Order: sequence, then structure tokens, then C-alpha cells
Amino acid sequence: MLDQFAEGFGMALRFDTFLMMSLGLFGGMLVGALPGFTTLMAMAILLPISFFLDPIVGIPFLLGIYKGGIFGGSIPAILISMPGTGAAVATSRDGYKLTQQGKSRKALDMALFASVFGDTSSDIFTILMIFPIAFLVMQFGPPELFAVLLLSLVIIAATSGSNPMKSLVMMMLGLWLSFIGTDPLGGVERFTFGLFDLKSGIPLLPMLIGVFAIPEIASVVMRNERAKQLAALMGERLSRAEFRRCVRTICRSTVIGTAIGIVPGLGQVVAAMMGYSAAKNASDHPETFGEGELEGVAAAEAANNAVNGPTMVPLLTLGIPGDNVTAILLGAFVAQGLRPGPQLFSDQGATVFAILVAMVFANLLFLVIGYLSIPFFSRLVTIKVSILIPIVIMFAFAGAYVFRSDSVDLLMLVVFGLFGIIARIAKFDVMPMVMGFILGPPMEYAFGQTVAMTNGDAFGFFLGERWGALGILLAIPVIGFLLWRRMRAVAAG
Amino acid sequence: MKKFTFRPTPEIVVLVVLLVVSLLGLLFIDALVAPPKLLFGRSLTAVAPSLFPSIIFVGLALLCAVLLVLLNLQGGHEHEASLTPHEWRRGVVFFGTMTLYALTMEPFGFLISTALAVALLTWQMGNQSWIQTVLLAFGGPILLYLAATRLLAVSLPELNVIELAYARLLGG
Repeated sequence: MLDQFAEGFGMALRFDTFLMMSLGLFGGMLVGALPGFTTLMAMAILLPISFFLDPIVGIPFLLGIYKGGIFGGSIPAILISMPGTGAAVATSRDGYKLTQQGKSRKALDMALFASVFGDTSSDIFTILMIFPIAFLVMQFGPPELFAVLLLSLVIIAATSGSNPMKSLVMMMLGLWLSFIGTDPLGGVERFTFGLFDLKSGIPLLPMLIGVFAIPEIASVVMRNERAKQLAALMGERLSRAEFRRCVRTICRSTVIGTAIGIVPGLGQVVAAMMGYSAAKNASDHPETFGEGELEGVAAAEAANNAVNGPTMVPLLTLGIPGDNVTAILLGAFVAQGLRPGPQLFSDQGATVFAILVAMVFANLLFLVIGYLSIPFFSRLVTIKVSILIPIVIMFAFAGAYVFRSDSVDLLMLVVFGLFGIIARIAKFDVMPMVMGFILGPPMEYAFGQTVAMTNGDAFGFFLGERWGALGILLAIPVIGFLLWRRMRAVAAG
Repeated sequence: MKKFTFRPTPEIVVLVVLLVVSLLGLLFIDALVAPPKLLFGRSLTAVAPSLFPSIIFVGLALLCAVLLVLLNLQGGHEHEASLTPHEWRRGVVFFGTMTLYALTMEPFGFLISTALAVALLTWQMGNQSWIQTVLLAFGGPILLYLAATRLLAVSLPELNVIELAYARLLGG
């Protein structure tokens, strides 16, 4: 393992990796800073670029967009009380109050430092933990894999959206969409309706861009949103004493964010809210939270950025994307020929380490780029959407086309975009659908293998030989229910 | 007992459509899924290719039916603040433009179809400046086309005439 780490460390030290990571960070901050535009949209649209780069360059490029975008989202949250991402909602509570008090520069500096601290710590944790977890996962057979995949889907359904039953409906729809094409076990055609274009199934990329990016754009177009008046970047920079005062809060939020990141489906929004609530509860002066408290900004930003690293644990060890951003990363891994799962660590361990080490380097770049470019990104919040929207659409269509060079993918993009906006109007979360679509084929495969292994005696097989898988299967409804209750409490509080 | 009163809210419509699709899927599963491959009269796989889809269709149909009943019993329907007729019109024009863009990209080529789509979207977003529109509609696609074909070495659909002119410019 140490050999692989050393090799991966060496592989990550490439000029083009650093260059593309810097571009990704800059691009992510740029998109995140634009009100109405999200990191998810940027990642979905720029995903195809990563296909044409080396894995050690392309995936860090996407990770740069991811990290930069989350911080970028806090810029409009602090300056104009318009969170660029869901993760920045908690930041806007105190950040905007600080802006109103003429301390926007302090708030943005705190957001940057807390983000970098949370992100770096969680990335180091990920590097230390990922191989032991992968080793454990290597002991899994088809029954355990099926049970864990099912558990992940239930966790995602229980924690995404406001209604777990609606999330389950979307997950089932995603599973059905994954059946279109060729059966992974027997190789027979299913649900192709005789159409040649459907024989290889629905391509992931138009679906990702369609359901994640197009509804965001359509929402801006339909509401004809325009940027708010810019609040000037004001006040002094953050002092060392102010940062030191928040160190305990940052550490606490980092632990919360890291723990949440490992569990599929929870994500940054929950982490930011829980980090903020924990800081408020632990504070000697909770009444200042929501009134322009620097600790509030630090708590939310450290927690939401600490999610980034650990989300890679279920993704890389089991191939389970924890949220919609890691679903896009999974697309990048697969397109690069790196199939996430325990086998990845024995076959491409050095590459995995190179990507993880690049994540840590990205944080250092993030600190420098963020610190220098805060004034520039602060100006972006007023850029005209009439210029941005056509450019984003152009990238979305070009991106959806280049992977297979098939114009049918463009129509699929429009159809999924339309579906995304209908789902948004009807308040159905599309994330469980994408998760169902991605996890459907491996789940069916594991299910088929499990059935073959039982030799017609499922009860005896699970009780006698696979009590671990049985335990997970029995725990699924309980875990799902407990998580759903916890999510309701977080949403209410 | 409360009476069933189905108001066609967006979530009801989505659920009814999914319920119908799943029931039809179950009904016609044999026509939609090819029979398993056989070797000496025995299936090559332990699980029939229609088994997993059937389980999902049953689950989907049950969930949709239960949700429809629950929504009706709760009385309240969870949906976003309804869109105004103006927002609907903007949405229809936006998706119309996107469909046109998708349909014209191959026959017209990337540059022409993108220039048209960008000009339409810029106009829809209320940009009054002709100079900005023209610069964006022509400059944007050309820059992206050059970046895609030269930097990333990927192909975007283009008319033969434009591809030939482009190749000549680059000394091809």
C-alpha cells in the first residue's frame, strides 16, 4: 500500500494536473459565484472535457470545479444573500448580516479559510481510511454487494427530497430506465421497442446534463432572473485573532462534515446545517448566530467542504455515488476505464492515490486562487444572464454530442431536461432516479449471482452462509426509517 | 370517509403517468423483454431477464397507487408555487429552441445551428444590444468549435463546405 501511495504521489506531481486543477478551481468559483448557476451544472457540462484528458488530469479537473464551486457559492450568499449552491444557505444567514455591517471581506476570508481547512482535513482522512475500507469490501461476495447496494438506494431515498415515498418512486423509475438496452446477465434485449439507438441503453451523459443542468437553466429563463445590485466588497481582512477564535468551531464542523460525507445521500446541505446548529449549541453566545457571527460562517463552510473527501469512499470502494456530484464523477471514472469498486484498488491503486493526493494539492491551490481572486469573483454576481445562458446551453449541447457523436443524444438531453423541469415543478427529486439508473445494472447482476448461489434455498443459504448480508438486508428498513426521521428533524430545525 | 377528488396537479399527473406506465409494462412484459437464451433447452441464467423489471414494475405501481391515495387523504398537494402564464410561455419557447437546436445540429452543422440557437436565446433573455448578440452568436460557436476540434481533438458535426474551408485555412 505504501508503494502504491509513493507511486501515486509521484504521479500527481504533474504540471498539467496542476494546471487543469487550477482551471477547474477557477471555473468552479466562477460558476458558483454566478447567482442561479450551480457547481452541479458546471460539472455536468464540463464533464466531457475530462474524457479527453488523462485520468490523473481529467478527474482532478472535475474535483477542482467541485471544490471551487462550493466556495464560489458562498460569494453571492455573503454579498447579496443569494446562495449560489444549496450548501451555502447556512453561510448566508450570518454572511449577509456581516456584509450589511460592512464586514463582507472578513466573511469571505473566513469562508475561504474554513473551507480549505475542512476540505484538507477530510481529504487526509479519506487517504488514510480508503484502503482499509477497500480491503474490507474485497471480502464481499454478490449477496453482500447486493445488500449494500440496496441499502445505499434506501439511504438515498430516505434522505433526499421531502417525501421518501416520492424518492422511492423516482429510484424505481431510475432502475427501470437502467433496464433499457441489454440485460447484464443473459445479454437479451429489453424495452428497446425495436429502436436501434436504444440497444446500448440510455447514455449517462445526456441524462446527467439533462436532469441536473437544464432545469437550472430553464428555471432562470422562465423566471427571467436578473442579478441583484452588487454590495461592494467592504471592510478589513480577517485577523489572526478572529480566525483563532473560530478554530474549535472549524474543527467540530470538519468532524461533522467528514462523518456525513461517508454516508451516501446526505451531502453538503445537511452537513452545513448540522455544523451550523452544533456551533450555535456549543456557543457561549448563541443569540449572535444569525446576526452576523463569524463563527456561523466558519461552521457552515468547514462542514460543507469537509464532505468532499469522504464522499469518495463509497464511490471508489463500492462504486456507490453518495450524491449527484459524485454521480458525475462516477461517469468520469467509468469513461476513463476506471470502474470504481474493490478491484480498482488492486488494479489501479497508484492511480487512485494520485487522484486523492491531487485533491489535497487542489486545496492548497484553492487557498491561493481564492485569496487572490475574491475581489474579481465578487464582481461576477452582476454579470448579465442574457450572455451566460446561451453560452451554457452551447456547452451543454456540444458536451452531450461529443462523447458518442450521435445526434440522438441531443434529443435525449432535451427529453431529460424537460423531465427534470416537470419533476422540479411536481417536487420530485431527480437524484434518486440517477442513483437508481447508475446502481441498477450492478444490483441486478449481484441479484442474479446471489439467486444462482442459493440453489433454490435462499433461507438456508443466508442463515447458514451469509449472515452478514442477511444482517444488512434486515437492517435496511430500520436504517431507512431512522434516517428519514433524522432528516425531518434537521429540516424542521 | 373522505371522497376521492383528483385535481390534476403536476405531482398527481406524474404519479398517474408512472402508474399507467408500470401497469402497461407489467401487462406487456413478455413483448417488451426478449426470451432468455437457451442451451440444450435450459436457460443460461438463473434469473429470467424479465424478473427484476417485473419486481420494479410491481413496486413502482404499488408506490404510485399508495402515494395517490395518501395525497388525497392528506388533502394537500406538494408542488411549487404555480408558474404564471408568462413563465409557461417562456418555458415553451426555451424548450422549443432547444428542440430546434437538437434537430438542426446534424443537418445544418454545429456553427450554423449554434449561431441560430444562441441568437434566439439571447433575444429571449431580453438582450437589446445587437452587437452583443452578433458577437455571441458568431464568436461563441467559432471559439468552441476551434477549442473542441483543435485542443480536444473531438469532432462536432459540420457542413462539408465549412469543414473544407476550415481545413484549407489550417493548411489541410
